[in-house]
Amino acid sequence: MKTNFIKTVGKIALILVPAITLSMNASAHDPKMHAKKAEKADCSKMDHSKMDMKDPVAVAMMKKCMKQSKSSMEKMDHSKMKEMDHSKMKGMDHSKMEKKENKKANSDDHQNH
Amino acid sequence: MKALKILLILLLLGGASAATVMYSGIVNVAADEPHSDIVYWLLEETREASIKKSAQHIKVPDLESPELLLMGGADYEYMCSSCHLKPGLEESDMSIGLYPQPPNLGISHETHQHGTDEELARQNFWVIKHGIKASGMPAWGKTHSDERIWAMVAFIKRLPTLTPEQYQVLTAID
Repeated sequence: MKTNFIKTVGKIALILVPAITLSMNASAHDPKMHAKKAEKADCSKMDHSKMDMKDPVAVAMMKKCMKQSKSSMEKMDHSKMKEMDHSKMKGMDHSKMEKKENKKANSDDHQNH
Repeated sequence: MKALKILLILLLLGGASAATVMYSGIVNVAADEPHSDIVYWLLEETREASIKKSAQHIKVPDLESPELLLMGGADYEYMCSSCHLKPGLEESDMSIGLYPQPPNLGISHETHQHGTDEELARQNFWVIKHGIKASGMPAWGKTHSDERIWAMVAFIKRLPTLTPEQYQVLTAID
């Protein structure tokens, strides 16, 4: 019984060891080269002062970054932000923030009718 | 009649020689063994003439639109950059291993191709759409619309002028 078990383990090892060795050789080059991840645009390095807005490349970059920032704003779950402590948010620039609540109020006040 | 016999014998001899070369296995097809200069020249000239002739009547649209750059950038990154490289990447497994070596499209076309911008654009469109036999260049036209291929042509036109940072923004997925 014991001899049979040792023989079986020996056979498995005989198959597994060369198989593992061969598969390691197959992935010997840098796997990072093949790992294509969906990267987001890195807009932090854009220098607007140096951009020529007549250049299609500059316009395309602006469009990409604006679209990205808009979609990331839309993905934020505002309903979970009730318990936000605004006193701890010293770095926030309120002048750049979209005032959605006011817009909503305006649309509901039927001034356009 | 005698001339016809000689011609027939020559044809038979030619066919037999070609078959001997084909089936003897003496032609080395390994990609890490380059062609002789004369064979390389023959193949390159044949390829260039074929592309030039096939692409000559293609109408080139306006390639200056920013939307084309954004559409073409994402496709270039996923379909082309591993072989044709990009700003900040001077070689890859594919660019080293393929033979003939794919052109580095991150370098200005003046160093490896000739012709006006328009000629180059229509030739690039044709090559992307139809591919090149036995070169590793696929026919992307089988799975991509002409609009997407023109977008890639527009992007390739601007590629040599892009910095790695500009390239990253233009090719990123939304």
